[in-house]
Amino acid sequence: MVGIGAWLFSRIDWDRVKVLANEPGQIQVQTIDGALLKQLEQAILYFIYFLPPAILLLLAGLGFVLLRRRGWMLASVAQALIMLACLFFYGDSRPWFAYPLIACSIFMILLLNSRSVRAAVHRRRTALADARPEVAHGE
Amino acid sequence: MANEEGFVDAREAEALLRRFEPVIRFTKGEWFYPMDCEPYVDACSLWVKRPDEDAVCVVPPGELTLDRLAQQPEDTTGAVHYLKIRNPTNDEKRGLWARWRARRSHTNPDWPKETFRAGRGRLARVGYISRLADALFSLALLARGRVPGGDVEGGRVLYGRFMEKGQRFTYHGNVVRQDGWIVLRYWLFYAFNDWRSNVFGANDHEADWEKLFVFLSESGEVRPEWVAYAAHEETGDDLRRRWDDPELEKIGEHPVAYVCAGSHATRYFRGEYLTELAFPLPRAVSAVRRILRRFWYVTLRQYADEDYREKPYEQFTIPFVDYGRGDGLSVGPGQDMEWDPPRLMNPVPSWVSGYRGLWGLYTQDPFQGEDAPAGPMYDRDKTISREWFDPVGWAGLDKVTTRAEALEVIAGRRAEIEGRRALVRSELQDKSNRLRALGMDAEATRDQSHLSKLHESQTRHIEELSNEVETLREQLSDDEVLAETLQDHAERLRNGERPPARAHIVHAARPVSEEETRAGRVAQLWASISVAVVLVALIVIFALERQHLLSALVFAIALFAFIEAGFRRRLTRFIVSANIGLAIVGALVLLQHYFWQIIVLAVLSVGLYILWENLRELGR
Repeated sequence: MVGIGAWLFSRIDWDRVKVLANEPGQIQVQTIDGALLKQLEQAILYFIYFLPPAILLLLAGLGFVLLRRRGWMLASVAQALIMLACLFFYGDSRPWFAYPLIACSIFMILLLNSRSVRAAVHRRRTALADARPEVAHGE
Repeated sequence: MANEEGFVDAREAEALLRRFEPVIRFTKGEWFYPMDCEPYVDACSLWVKRPDEDAVCVVPPGELTLDRLAQQPEDTTGAVHYLKIRNPTNDEKRGLWARWRARRSHTNPDWPKETFRAGRGRLARVGYISRLADALFSLALLARGRVPGGDVEGGRVLYGRFMEKGQRFTYHGNVVRQDGWIVLRYWLFYAFNDWRSNVFGANDHEADWEKLFVFLSESGEVRPEWVAYAAHEETGDDLRRRWDDPELEKIGEHPVAYVCAGSHATRYFRGEYLTELAFPLPRAVSAVRRILRRFWYVTLRQYADEDYREKPYEQFTIPFVDYGRGDGLSVGPGQDMEWDPPRLMNPVPSWVSGYRGLWGLYTQDPFQGEDAPAGPMYDRDKTISREWFDPVGWAGLDKVTTRAEALEVIAGRRAEIEGRRALVRSELQDKSNRLRALGMDAEATRDQSHLSKLHESQTRHIEELSNEVETLREQLSDDEVLAETLQDHAERLRNGERPPARAHIVHAARPVSEEETRAGRVAQLWASISVAVVLVALIVIFALERQHLLSALVFAIALFAFIEAGFRRRLTRFIVSANIGLAIVGALVLLQHYFWQIIVLAVLSVGLYILWENLRELGR
């Protein structure tokens, strides 16, 4: 994700953007190179869509290191956001990078919901629930 | 006692029934308590409905007695007999305001004294689909047969008059012997089941017969071993509890039961139960759902809240709450109210065996939930009920021996096994001898061209005989292990050990936890209005957002699902569901874009896998 983001930003001709930004007076949009505008728009949208899930994934990584249930929750929310962003991109301009990200997200969703991962992450909570006295369950 | 198998004489029956009679705890606000059925019958009229004809009154109110009921007059093929509670006069009816006024002014009859309060509504405990189905279920009642609203008032007036004459609490008792058990059958008769009208439940019906059985064994003196409480249409192992089960509440020799408000279902623990009304799904839908479930949980090894289990059939359920709080009147020995002497059904009275009709209004409801029940001996279709002719089997005790008989049964079983083993041993010896002889014959005829056919036949026989010998040896070995295990079991029983008290229970009905019943007013309000709000939102979207219909619908559904998940503390499940939905959409996108590539990749993967497997075999 970060790699794709870096690539999106690196292919923009920043000198030209700077020149346009420093030009005094009004800029006629029609005069700007269409491809450049498209690249700029895509990079900014990518940044907006993928920054929150990237932060969540970092936090989730920390959570997983500490084996907290929150790590799993953050990772799941991040995957949902990534999928949503990819589907928005797909509906809009169908960029090539949407497909590998979708495939990766599907894999991650299945992995996060697999029995072994859920059992490992929810172990502490299950153990606590089992230890509760029968009366607490109303039995 | 009378016979080895069958009914017990009246004097002994009454003594046993009184000795183990239950303590019954009701929910505050209950309108109807167990009563003697005679005054109820005296106050009803008897009707008969023949196919394609209007129902006719065959015995008017005031003329009906239990003896007259037993005659079941004007019986013809297809006729349904039923009782009908007299409609209340306008003066006797009570609306909400009138009920409040009556409580202050003590109008006649001033009954009930308390009103039921549901607390947190059942709708707050279930999801959207169930709420929508519930709304449809309520609408369907308009088309289905249903007990008219006035009938519950009729029941109230009738029962109120009985209670004003004197508060009496009666059960109907019957004692029977079956398979070494003495079965005490306590039948509780209520004038009305007002579950739907007063307790937000699934149905109403005039009259209600509920039951509670105690199973005794006899070795010198009688000893209680099991109890079985009936709840709705449940039968089998889950119904019963062992007498020494710590979960079974007892006061001395009296088992304690909690009766749910309105429905009168009998429970072992106080609490609020989620009772589901199940409707089978169409076969095709059921098959698709089963395949998808198997793919998801078995093939993809995805997480399930409880162990994945293949269901024989899929069904759709609407949940209702059974309130068995036990915070109301308690009836039984040493309680708020004592039982009156029981109405004995030993020997079986003619009104039990002779009247096969319904004990209240026949609404012709296709689901039968609103039709009154038949008497203790019959089902609604006039066949003899299982709890009457086979009470032991009804409670799943037909495979259980009494404690008194256990050692005797084990000894008999071991003797039987020993006898069988002797026979098997002898057969085994004989067949082994024949097998060895055949083996020798085959050895002699091998490589003899003129005896090749004989050799083939011998080889075939050897194979068959060898299989038989193997089966016999297995049987001998199994029987040996079984005999030893039975011996160990007998030893444990002699030492006073018993198998786990709850080993027979598969799905025990449990009240919902306190945590689940606790919810804020906002959650309750949301549960009540959510279905209507969703429908209004959908209409607004269709009317105003046609250009972005799909996005608006997805957004609205996701928003409502999120709010719902928040209220029901199921955010984890919501996120998982949302992710699964997104993953499915994503998979479809990939499939559409890379269809042929995916096919090629799949074929290549299979090829590589086969290649890898073959190369591994070569390398070994």
